[in-house]
Amino acid sequence: MDPAEVEFLAEKEMVKIIPNFSLDKIYLIGGDLGPFNPGLPVEVPVWLALNLKQRQKCRIVPPEWMDTDKLEEIREQERKLDTFTPIPSPYYMELAKLLLNHSADNIPKADEIRTLVKDIWDTRVAKLRLSADSFISQQEAHAQLDNLTLMEINTTRSFLLDSLNYMYKLRSNLQPGRSQDY
Amino acid sequence: MPCERKPMRYGHSEGHTDVCFDDKGKCIVTCGSDGDVRIWESLDDDDPKSINVGEKVYSVALKNGKLVTAVSNNTVQIHTFPEGDPDGILTRFTTNANHVTFNSSGSRVAAGSSDFIVKIVEVVDSSQQKTLRGHDAPVLSVALDTSDEFLASSSCDGSVTVWSIESQTQVAQWKILQKSSDVSNAKSLCRLAWQPHSGKLLAVPVDLTVQLYDRNTWTHVSTLCDDLITQVVNVVVWSPCGKFLAAGTVGGNLLIWDVEAKLCIERQKHEKGFTVCGMAWHPSGGRIAYTDTEGCLGLLEGVSSSSPPSSSTVQSTKATAAKEKNDYDDLFDEDDDRMLDEGMSDSRSPVKKPIMEEDDDDDDLMPATGKPRNRGSFLDDDDNSQDPGSVKLDGVPEEDGSSAILPAVGPAVSRPVYEGPMPTQPQRAFQAGSTPVHLMHRFMVWNSVGIVRGYNDDQDNAIDVEFHDTAIHHAMHLTNTLGHTMADLSQEAVLLACEGTDELASKIQCLHFSCWDTHKDWIVDLPKGEDVCALCLGQGWAAVATSALMVRLFSIGGVQKEIFSLPGAVVCMAGHGEQLLIMYHRGTGFDGDQALGVQLLQLGSKRRQVIHGEPLPLSRKSYLAWMGFTAEGTPCCIDSEGVVRMLNRTVGNTWTPVCNTRDSCKSKSDHYWVVGVHENPQQLRCIPCKGSRFPPTLPRPAVAVLPFNLPYCQTTTEKGQMEEQYWRSMLFHNHYSFLSSSGYEIDSEGQSQAEKEQQELLMKMFALSCKLEREFRCVELAEMMTHSVVTLAIRYASRSRLFKDKEMDVIKQGMGRFRTLSAEERLNWTERAKGDSDPKKRKREDEGQAIMERSKQKQMNQNENEADSAINGKFDGRVKIPGWSAGGAAGTPSTAPSSSVMESWREERTRSLEDNEMSLPSIAAAYTTILRGLGEDPQRQGLLKTPWRAATAMQFFTKGYQEKIIELCLCVTVSREVRVNPFKVSGAGKPSSSSAGQPRTTSVLDSMTMSSRKPTPLGGTSKQGKAPVLKPLAPKPKSKTQATLLQMSASKGNSKKLVDSQTEAEKVKAAPAATPPASVENIENRKPKTGFQLWLEDNRKSILADNPDFEEMDVIKQGMGRFRTLSAEERLNWTERAKGDSDPKKRKREDEGQVNDQMESDEGSAKKKKPLDTSAKLSAFAFNKE
Repeated sequence: MDPAEVEFLAEKEMVKIIPNFSLDKIYLIGGDLGPFNPGLPVEVPVWLALNLKQRQKCRIVPPEWMDTDKLEEIREQERKLDTFTPIPSPYYMELAKLLLNHSADNIPKADEIRTLVKDIWDTRVAKLRLSADSFISQQEAHAQLDNLTLMEINTTRSFLLDSLNYMYKLRSNLQPGRSQDY
Repeated sequence: MPCERKPMRYGHSEGHTDVCFDDKGKCIVTCGSDGDVRIWESLDDDDPKSINVGEKVYSVALKNGKLVTAVSNNTVQIHTFPEGDPDGILTRFTTNANHVTFNSSGSRVAAGSSDFIVKIVEVVDSSQQKTLRGHDAPVLSVALDTSDEFLASSSCDGSVTVWSIESQTQVAQWKILQKSSDVSNAKSLCRLAWQPHSGKLLAVPVDLTVQLYDRNTWTHVSTLCDDLITQVVNVVVWSPCGKFLAAGTVGGNLLIWDVEAKLCIERQKHEKGFTVCGMAWHPSGGRIAYTDTEGCLGLLEGVSSSSPPSSSTVQSTKATAAKEKNDYDDLFDEDDDRMLDEGMSDSRSPVKKPIMEEDDDDDDLMPATGKPRNRGSFLDDDDNSQDPGSVKLDGVPEEDGSSAILPAVGPAVSRPVYEGPMPTQPQRAFQAGSTPVHLMHRFMVWNSVGIVRGYNDDQDNAIDVEFHDTAIHHAMHLTNTLGHTMADLSQEAVLLACEGTDELASKIQCLHFSCWDTHKDWIVDLPKGEDVCALCLGQGWAAVATSALMVRLFSIGGVQKEIFSLPGAVVCMAGHGEQLLIMYHRGTGFDGDQALGVQLLQLGSKRRQVIHGEPLPLSRKSYLAWMGFTAEGTPCCIDSEGVVRMLNRTVGNTWTPVCNTRDSCKSKSDHYWVVGVHENPQQLRCIPCKGSRFPPTLPRPAVAVLPFNLPYCQTTTEKGQMEEQYWRSMLFHNHYSFLSSSGYEIDSEGQSQAEKEQQELLMKMFALSCKLEREFRCVELAEMMTHSVVTLAIRYASRSRLFKDKEMDVIKQGMGRFRTLSAEERLNWTERAKGDSDPKKRKREDEGQAIMERSKQKQMNQNENEADSAINGKFDGRVKIPGWSAGGAAGTPSTAPSSSVMESWREERTRSLEDNEMSLPSIAAAYTTILRGLGEDPQRQGLLKTPWRAATAMQFFTKGYQEKIIELCLCVTVSREVRVNPFKVSGAGKPSSSSAGQPRTTSVLDSMTMSSRKPTPLGGTSKQGKAPVLKPLAPKPKSKTQATLLQMSASKGNSKKLVDSQTEAEKVKAAPAATPPASVENIENRKPKTGFQLWLEDNRKSILADNPDFEEMDVIKQGMGRFRTLSAEERLNWTERAKGDSDPKKRKREDEGQVNDQMESDEGSAKKKKPLDTSAKLSAFAFNKE
């Protein structure tokens, strides 16, 4: 899976918007949306929210966790603990990116939030690399990592698997008697 | 301690603060390092008026409506008070001034600055300045003596200097302070104070003491100190009488000395021990306000009354008396700005203070009950020992917490005081959905159309108009040159208005953006002296209420229309469509209540007043917070207690509480600020406000939706919930009838949905009552239902009864048992009987039904006992009917709908079917005549069946004349099936009818007979020789239900059984032959056509032989006559023949009926096992049938 696909999945997350148009319920395969009343918050998937936002048809209400205080708390927690802390949204990175890129004007303290999310991301990915490193160096057979988000798994999956494959190959080459194939 | 320390409250941001009272002592004025001056109505004032005067304020002084502040931009500024408008700069220094003070008359201001200079400036003419130079360090504090002769100043150079103002020279100097380099390093602020009135003494805080110097000799007179003081004294202030001196220390101690006695009479500690940096004594002397370096404001209450009796009894009572007077002044001082406004909090109302306990935000009931109780006990205890004066005293001064002392201290002092209910200050006019006018950034209106924001700060005085729906109009930005304070917004226009000033008249400006010409706005000036108080927009009109108690109507284009007077000052107005809602002061409210009146006017074509100034119900001690219309046009109002009330047009324009927003609030200081009410869907749109009554403009508040909740009893129970839901649904769908009556198009789908919802709820309640065996309640509920649902209810009731009381279906006990049942149960049984297919019993059932009808009628008369006896009587009479007591009245319950009920009432009350059938030919003949008269040939192929059809239709149309509502109620099932349009050609019947042209005169009767599952064999009788077109019945609800509820396989699996049951049915059919003629007639009723037609076919020839010249109609007439002369036996034979004639197709249908029967009974047994308690499920099933 590449990041674009993960982002695609993230776009199914619901977010509140305040439309500035009026529309009855719309019936989609994924479920009914609306009705849209001007000025009244309504929950829609992110993809629709962004679409409407780009057409200036709505204001996006940032999700509850997209708040400097809460993110700061998470960042501190993340830095303090060795394990991964639970994240308020399984798509926090994607949502933050999408919403901040497209509707930064509707999000108070957008820049701070961007920094905070990036900090959290960096911390977590660093942890992930660290654990992968120790996993390999200690030659463990299995490891358990909780509270990882899809995007995080994706960043490391291909690299980790490939490198493990190569290591396996290298190791098996080292062993005598197995090298006759080459 | 008699002196009460009130809890501190947050006033300014952290840093140096100062405090003073205004001249009358009505407001506390504070300043802080946040650059704001705040004017507090009281300590509990939730919304102090804020005036921004600069970046930082060091000192504040207030006298004669002039607010003087020392600001960080090195100036001393004047602002008007209480408006807060800048009134110029008094003087400038090279650095900031540290302390400003007025002289006693308020004509001069002295200021001491960090640039070592003290200046004295005339307030009226700031060019007249006197500069005092001589200090070698920043000046800490200045004080002007009462005679304007001397000025005392303290400085960081450690000296306290007295200057002669006139000569600008030093008179005396004491090096008594600690030296420091700057104000920030100084240990003490060293605020000096001259004794008021005499001005004899100058108080100087020196280290841990306060030293007093004599004005004449400039010698040290005395030192005031106390053990409690552990840190440096910061501030000293004299009481207005000059007898007491209060001091605040760095350590947070507050002390009051009696100067003459050098006695410390009061010791208080700051609740957190912060440094006291500002103190002010209330002009009446009763309280001291103080501020600390953390920006908090505190208050000491009841200060002087606590002084020792020897020196201060007179003083204290005088002080309280003065204060008392003051409060009453407040009360009636309408010109003052302290009218109630939108942001008013409960505790700010000056009226409440005398009436309620200090913690009045807590429990409104407390003071009401507490006060009489106190007085009562007082009278009981001291009835004889106390003179009336002291009794009166008791009720009076509750406001300063000294009531407990006063009677004891001075029983001799008696004052005439009114102690009845206190008038409430009338609330000020406001615009619904606006935030207080004095805010710099405020919402001028927020409604369902959009938002109008007003900005009034240093850079900008502007108005922003934003629409929720950008399709209406794009956002607008206007410069607010006229200073508009009121606004309303509709789909067509923005209406703005400002109050008049001395020079300019009050103006109304309308931006009519939907206007199609180029002039999109208009402005109207009101007559001089008349101010706009409230305004609103409707559809095509605008209304403005003015201070002249007048309402002016304008067209949206600016044409002046009607004007009329209001009986009182307007509070708020709202418009919707053609409706105008006005709330005004109907009179004076008492004890915190407002007395508001409502007028609802219908403008437009049919002008009338709908509500004629009736009182508006509000919660106790509350005021109107919002009013307007729902999106659907129902008036709605919300009071400050958060109760939402909606006009109930069906109950004579009463107001029904539909929601309490305070129930949804998490904390006591949270509120919901309502922006709109919608009835469909039921939404209360509002903005949650944490810790305030209204939201700030930034960050942009988000709208939340609250559900409505009628305050019904026991809403925790299922019954209560459903009742609440039902009545809420009723109330919230009233607007349909209103809208349709006023000519609007309504969403009929929504309406029918609403009705369905209501009926569903009724059904659920019915089911619940059934479960609880509350039969009377069941009947009450049934009375609220519509006809169709009543039948469902009856069916449900019968079924549930059946399953529940299984033993009851053993009707071996027979009549005796039956007689003891309640009417409802009998109804149930009879209804069950209705479903019974056994023809043998039908007759009896019919009778039972007839009885039932009567009983039901009686029940409707609300006279149950009487009815019961009457019914019993009837039953007794009926029991004698042969065969009745043999009664398998309820054998196997089969619920296929039958027409038994119908027949019975027809037989008794209306034109009988036989009559119908008999008269049919003659009517048809008449139609033939008419056709012939019109020049048509009745024998023409296309017209052959027309007379019959028309005749049937005529009978159908007129058949209701004899019917009664009650009967209809009982017979809805039947009549529903019967009342099919006779002209309607059903799908199945179409081909044959069109090809053959068989007279379809029988459709009504067909459906009747069909419903009893006796197919009518018409075939072969008529000339066309084709099978008659039988109208396939509307799907039988009951059988359908069975199919859904029960295993469908039952019918399939039982296909073999069918044969048996069919033969059984045959037998059953044969049975009536043996019954007396009456029952034969009955059967004939059901299938009269067949017998007669068969007979007619056979006998046509003979009739024609007798009368060769007879036309078809005549033949029939003749035949009818002859048929009547036949004996019952013969007729029966014909009927039987007709029956035997039925074609296989119909037979099949009969079989199906039989299957239904089978399933029915199967279901019966299946049902028995099923638990019945899920009422919701059952009612759902009931509705599935629909």
